[in-house]
Amino acid sequence: MELDTALVARWLEPLARRPEEIAEIFAETRREASVDWVDGQSSEVRTQRTEGVSARWRRGTRQCLAFVSRRDEEAARDAVRAVQREAGVSTMPVRPVRPREAAPEEEEPHALERWARRLPAILARHAPRHRLRWTLREIDRQLIPPRGAAASFSRRLLSLEGSFTAASRRGDETRRFSFHAPLADATGDELKSALARAAEPRDTANPCGDGETDAVLAGGCAAVLFHEILSHPLESGVESPLSGLEQARLAPSEVEVRDDPGRLDLFGGYERDDEGTAPRAVKLLDAGRLAGRMTDRSHGPAPSNGHSRRAGPEDAPLPRGSNVIVAPGPATSEEITRRLAAGLWIEEIDGGSVELASGRFRLRFPRARRVRRGRLADECGGGFLSGEILPVLSSIDPALGREQRPYRALGWCARGGLVVPIQGCAPDVLVRRLRVRAIA
Amino acid sequence: MSGETERLSEELERLAPGQWELYEKAAESRELDSAAGERAMVSRRDRGWAARWWAGGGPRFACGSCAEELPRAIAEASRVEAAAEDPPAWPSAKSEGARTAPEAEPPPDLFEEIQGRLAAESRGEAALKRLTLRRGASSIRIVNGRGLDVFFSTTVYDGIALAAGRKGARACEGRAVFRWDRGPDLDGLARRLADRATLPLSDRGAPIDRGEWLLDPSVAAALLAAVAPLFCEETLPKWVHRRDLFSPGVTVVDDASADAHYDGEGTATRRLVVVEGGSLASPLRDLRSARRSGSPATGHGVRASYRVPPRSGPRRLFFEHGSPAPARELLARVRRGLFAAALTAPARFDFERDRYEVEFTGIVVFGGRAEGAVAGALAKGRISQLLRRLAAFSTDRQFFPMPFLVGAPTVLVERSEFE
Repeated sequence: MELDTALVARWLEPLARRPEEIAEIFAETRREASVDWVDGQSSEVRTQRTEGVSARWRRGTRQCLAFVSRRDEEAARDAVRAVQREAGVSTMPVRPVRPREAAPEEEEPHALERWARRLPAILARHAPRHRLRWTLREIDRQLIPPRGAAASFSRRLLSLEGSFTAASRRGDETRRFSFHAPLADATGDELKSALARAAEPRDTANPCGDGETDAVLAGGCAAVLFHEILSHPLESGVESPLSGLEQARLAPSEVEVRDDPGRLDLFGGYERDDEGTAPRAVKLLDAGRLAGRMTDRSHGPAPSNGHSRRAGPEDAPLPRGSNVIVAPGPATSEEITRRLAAGLWIEEIDGGSVELASGRFRLRFPRARRVRRGRLADECGGGFLSGEILPVLSSIDPALGREQRPYRALGWCARGGLVVPIQGCAPDVLVRRLRVRAIA
Repeated sequence: MSGETERLSEELERLAPGQWELYEKAAESRELDSAAGERAMVSRRDRGWAARWWAGGGPRFACGSCAEELPRAIAEASRVEAAAEDPPAWPSAKSEGARTAPEAEPPPDLFEEIQGRLAAESRGEAALKRLTLRRGASSIRIVNGRGLDVFFSTTVYDGIALAAGRKGARACEGRAVFRWDRGPDLDGLARRLADRATLPLSDRGAPIDRGEWLLDPSVAAALLAAVAPLFCEETLPKWVHRRDLFSPGVTVVDDASADAHYDGEGTATRRLVVVEGGSLASPLRDLRSARRSGSPATGHGVRASYRVPPRSGPRRLFFEHGSPAPARELLARVRRGLFAAALTAPARFDFERDRYEVEFTGIVVFGGRAEGAVAGALAKGRISQLLRRLAAFSTDRQFFPMPFLVGAPTVLVERSEFE
């Protein structure tokens, strides 16, 4: 239900009389449908229709937010009254509750039915034995400021996650699978290719060993590395080893990394951020130099560049990354393998974390290929790659791959329990002197 | 019965006669988020309805934040076929008493006080970066097609604290998640934060590759939480021997009767001995897993939120021991080992392969005496061996949200391998 923007804006005006004050109403409607698939059968069907409104007021270092789990005029009024009380502004009068009118039924059939017909065929072909959860999220958001135009924006996001049984030379093995993409005409075909790739037969894996190694992060999975070592430290208001190093050269000049919410073909894209600002791509590394930070209206240093994000209407916005984009270079995969000479070739990273105070990060990979004398050799089992932000940035090889690939397994980022959609795309990237430890 | 619940119940009865459940939750919370010089107050008022029903053979679930939207979610979930599964044996209790929901008070501002205690505890090496305190209250009503109509309310006072330690050029962060059932424990929180934020600043790794392993209550609780899936599994891994899963003195109990009279499906809460004298006793069962196993539900249908269907899981799980000893006696028993003060990464338990890895920061102990900090160490081995090596328990049991409440005292593991 869309709110009457003119009416709500009038309620907010007394809360934003001074230039340094922020007042706004944020509203969200979320429709989710998910189906658990077990070996071609839908074992459980779930649907969700939730909504909420929150009012926010901020002056300097003081902020208050009030959330009500409805999206209508009455909820917006309740939220604004709660914020007015906290801000010490005289509160609006209480109005009698009017019964809510039933919204008209949507004419368009839900994509749930279309996918419930289509997915079993895709799974039967590429991964007939599986435990997977298919989820479609439709998120519709509205931001109303006291002055200026309100902003409305929506996203439709599809995920398929879980595990399936695949053949390997030694017999069947369970492999994890994760795919996140905005819903588009080509999503089905992309999902088929991703499943087919994931189900390819593999050799028996040996432990990847412990110690120091050079590694190529291929198949777009370098996006996870840059999300951890650049996106998180460059969220405004965060202290990290990158603080105070603006314009310093940290990586070879061939390395260009930006965060681009405008890439709507990626899971983390959006047309407006959660404060209603149109997002701009932010250069994080420009020719190897530390370039910019992701900002919102409350966290400078510069004006907002449209990176304010909320996990939901019940949470206050924070500056967060969206889609991390690593520019391609000139090298072919063969060339990069030759430059690697000996080390690990990794195409999947299924988890990552960074501790910002020390700059230590860690990435988990489920499998890898060993490279010996510049050629792909035996399969390795999973392990952890770790290092520290500054040494690793400086040890990136300048020869970046020429093909940039979206990394669809990367879909969500949690910071302090607040989860937002993200993604990235990257070429093959060779990183030297990473620490590796095999998963026991 | 409120008009909304009555109307929704009628609709569900038409859709799946006798085979439905309606869950209604109203919650309120006040949260104070503080950092140096910054304060943010968040108030939340949340209502939600969740319906579960068996129609056309299979289970379906729909939820909505308003009663008006739930029927649409129900209609949507009905559009897809679900594989056949027998409906559960629904409970049919009725609760009595007043149906008033408690109110949530705003939490006090404790930032400066904890900051001061942390500085004292860490000798100035750690500073509080952020503190989030939350007080919440919720009321829950569950009805079903077999006459169940129960109401209960809960309150919570919990939070998260983040501290940063610094020594020369070295820095590290430490986080503590806590829940206060009996009022604020500021000293305990400051101690935990100081350990997490300063011990990793030491430049020393594990000086021994095997020895005794003494676990702080928070670490022991994390390990108990990590093995908890074994208590809900319908098919146990091959390495699990029910009769001697743990060492003989170990008893593990789940008893959430202090928190709520019913679980998320309306089954009455009761004390359940999960492990008795080292043997796996009663598994934790929700309605669906009870139906599949042909046993009664144990009151462990857990809902992480009204937005997700209930699943079997622990609610308030804790170690019990017949003859606990003071923590200093356990320390005195360590001849050559490590004290794990805090985890530095989530514990990894691979049930399929019977392997575990636990990364922690702590203190070297020789001859029952602390001999300096260890920045990081890794304990690893077989889960089956770890559980049978729990040798002694202390009297200092504490509860931690993981996210369900887990209670553990200081625990001595007689032998472990370290890296």
